[in-house]
Amino acid sequence: MNIPNEPNAFAGDETMQRLLRLKRYEQPPEGYYEDFLSEFHHRQRAELLRPSLTTLLLERFASWAAEFRVPAIAYAGATALAVVASIGILQVNPAAPTGAPAAYAVSYSQTPFSQTPVTIQKMQPVSLRVNTQAEGDSTRLLPTAYLLQGRSANHESPLSF
Amino acid sequence: MARMTSELEPPINDDSELVSRTQGGDPSAFDQLVIRYTPRLYGLIYNMTSNHEDTNDLLQDVFAKAYRSICSFRGKSSFSTWMHSISVNMTINFLKKRKRRQHPSLNDPDSSIENDPDFIAATSQNDPLNAISIHELQNKLNAALSRLSHDHRAVVTMFDIQGIPHAEIAKILKISEGTVRSRLFYAHRQLQNSLHEFKNP
Repeated sequence: MNIPNEPNAFAGDETMQRLLRLKRYEQPPEGYYEDFLSEFHHRQRAELLRPSLTTLLLERFASWAAEFRVPAIAYAGATALAVVASIGILQVNPAAPTGAPAAYAVSYSQTPFSQTPVTIQKMQPVSLRVNTQAEGDSTRLLPTAYLLQGRSANHESPLSF
Repeated sequence: MARMTSELEPPINDDSELVSRTQGGDPSAFDQLVIRYTPRLYGLIYNMTSNHEDTNDLLQDVFAKAYRSICSFRGKSSFSTWMHSISVNMTINFLKKRKRRQHPSLNDPDSSIENDPDFIAATSQNDPLNAISIHELQNKLNAALSRLSHDHRAVVTMFDIQGIPHAEIAKILKISEGTVRSRLFYAHRQLQNSLHEFKNP
């Protein structure tokens, strides 16, 4: 549709324009304009005091954390969970050296109480026999010596004069 | 004290002077601009929203936005154009967000309307058979305006109700004058269909 070239295409029907101009009579309640500025100042001040969204979220989180109470059963539950997890890790972990403890366990279970434990059997006893070679030689008056695992031992202190 | 200040400092008529003072950190200068522009911007927003409460909230937001960004105002357009531009854009954005059409909250027309010859003619007060009340006329006008698109309503409000010339509307909306005339033409045609009962024989 072509728009007429005249400045105001609606000029031919001025009735509509006159009707629309009647909208100017619709005015806000009395005193509205006078109070508007003070309300504007009030809102501006309120805006300044209003915290930002980040601050609001942080405050809410802090208050939530402060009010948060751990129930006693949670500690028991956490302990039980830790025990179960430890057992599970010990049973599942293939890298653990299972041979040695098993051997010790078998040896303990199969050995009677009278028998010497395996760990003690592996200890080497210290020989306390008298050095007979030195004892047989009467010409030499040497102090009494003992052999400690093949080495001669003397009761005299090397620092004695 | 305030009285003395007002006596010493008469109201400044020039917007640019008040803008400069506001940009220089004088909030009282912006207060004068608020007082000066509240009635005309109220009319603009009110006739686009048909709701007094929405208009009040939007007008507060418009001045708050203007105050925050007044340092970016370089004076390429007049302050009036700048303020109208902020108002129209914020109102159109608000209307787009307001999906559900709200029940209008219309202000009562001033009592002086009864003496307006256009009102007398429109309400057929000379013909009691066709006479309608002020509120009937108000509701019919509002219903007709609400059928327009946001862009068309903005143009009709500025041109027909507020009397802003085409060239100024073009600057406010950042469109050509031809587009302003085109929008007015289609808006008027639509209004004629809605308000045909008031058309002169």
